[in-house]
Amino acid sequence: MTTPAVLPAPSRPSRWWGQPRTSRQRLRRRSMLQVALCQLLLLGIVLGLWEWGTQGAGVNAFLFGSPSVIAAQLLAMVKDGSIWADAWVTGLETLGGFVLGNLLGTVLGLSLWFSRFISRVVQPFVLALGSVPIVALAPIAIIWFGTGFASKLAMATLSVVVVALVVAYKGALGVDPDQVNLMRSLGASRRQIFRLLVLPASLTDIFAGLKLTVGFALVGAIVGEFMSSSEGLGHAIFKAGSLYAISKVFAALAVTVALALVLSAVVSRVERALLPWRHDFN
Amino acid sequence: MRSREGAGRAPPLSALGLGKTFGAEDGRPVGVIGSVSFDLGEGEIVSIVGPSGCGKTTLLNLICGLLPPTVGSVLWHGRELAGVPPRVGYMLQKDLLLPWRTAMQNVTLGLEVRQVNRRERRAMAHRLLDRLGLGDFADYYPSALSGGMRQRVALARTFASDPEVLLLDEPFSALDFQTKILIERDTARLVRSERRSLLLITHDVEEAVSLSDRVIVLSHRPCTVVSQHHIDLPGDRTDMMAMRERPEFARTVRKIWTELDIR
Repeated sequence: MTTPAVLPAPSRPSRWWGQPRTSRQRLRRRSMLQVALCQLLLLGIVLGLWEWGTQGAGVNAFLFGSPSVIAAQLLAMVKDGSIWADAWVTGLETLGGFVLGNLLGTVLGLSLWFSRFISRVVQPFVLALGSVPIVALAPIAIIWFGTGFASKLAMATLSVVVVALVVAYKGALGVDPDQVNLMRSLGASRRQIFRLLVLPASLTDIFAGLKLTVGFALVGAIVGEFMSSSEGLGHAIFKAGSLYAISKVFAALAVTVALALVLSAVVSRVERALLPWRHDFN
Repeated sequence: MRSREGAGRAPPLSALGLGKTFGAEDGRPVGVIGSVSFDLGEGEIVSIVGPSGCGKTTLLNLICGLLPPTVGSVLWHGRELAGVPPRVGYMLQKDLLLPWRTAMQNVTLGLEVRQVNRRERRAMAHRLLDRLGLGDFADYYPSALSGGMRQRVALARTFASDPEVLLLDEPFSALDFQTKILIERDTARLVRSERRSLLLITHDVEEAVSLSDRVIVLSHRPCTVVSQHHIDLPGDRTDMMAMRERPEFARTVRKIWTELDIR
């Protein structure tokens, strides 16, 4: 019998801030460092060229903004606290829609596994709903839910729910039929098959969907704010844009991007914690 | 339900004129299994060999109750059952281990389905993994195990639910020769020491002859039983290499090989 290479205990989650334990991990960390350095360098070059262009090389700073002015603007927004207020509002709308949409979509998608018949009945409706551009629903959302938090939550939820449903259903259908037969041969009931096999097997797909829908939820929230709002990053961008305050637009945009990155990083961390078998051995 | 007539105890498993035809409703029906009958006695190891594509796996699914037969019936201790019979272990060439469960948790899957308590489950799994030389790997995920180790875990999972009858479909055919011989030995030991019954479906004639008490040869599709061979090899039946060195072994393998009618 062959003995496998020595591996860390599988139940222990690997922590990125911990000391690297094996030479392979050390190697991986080194290449991660190189990648990060190159990314920073690339960012520096782009920002540098932009700044240089607006400092007398013929690029109109009024139309295109400039990194230094944007940075100053960001600093001012931090100082007067508007950055936190707007990011908080948009973050809450996004997170709320993300959670609600995924919960709804995933529960519906997985429950379709129980009945092939019902899933065939609803299929065209799901497809039709999925093909509606979310932007087109914004006026309805505002009429139904008003101009406050609820309409943004609805927009974010709508941007997420169909994708989550399709992803969860595809995940549940993708379970190996031989594995289902094995469960049946072990005497498992349909509910046991769902709990012990279908649900955990779909988690991989569901998490891929979560990563995807974080962005969708943010788009939904921002579109909702564009239509009608008094606060939030979308509101800040829209207002600054109509006042030709380009550097303020860029500043709010940078905060939006940062928000998206933070949210998807959170999803990745949760995935790592919940699906340890996918990450321990690469 | 009907009961089988005749004296003595009914064998754990018998197939009576089993047949399966697919797609009979739309156009041309495809006969996969013509008519297959056999018995599997208590404590007996029977192999079914046949040319590839003859419907061996379909036959296994019929026996397991995963597919309904077109004609014929499957009797468990002389009685016909609806659905999947209890106390039957089932194992395929694919190990079908669940990647999110450790080796130990994969072994206890069937016990969890039957709601055996956690302590008993773990004790049983540890015992089996130890016997199969995997004691140190109980907490490993399948992705960290070699193909042979994974198949051993699958074997342990099959034995964990204490099956009376084991149905194995080409379980060792994806393994290298060395690993295969060792797992065949382990399987023979586990089956023979506890007087379980084993039905092995395989295309490997040497595996069938070295492991079994009886080999059933099937024809091409739609398959029927061509012949049956009682394998009477002297010595320790769990020593797969010793079995292969006997002159009777080579003779029987050769005979079955010609009957297989491989074209």
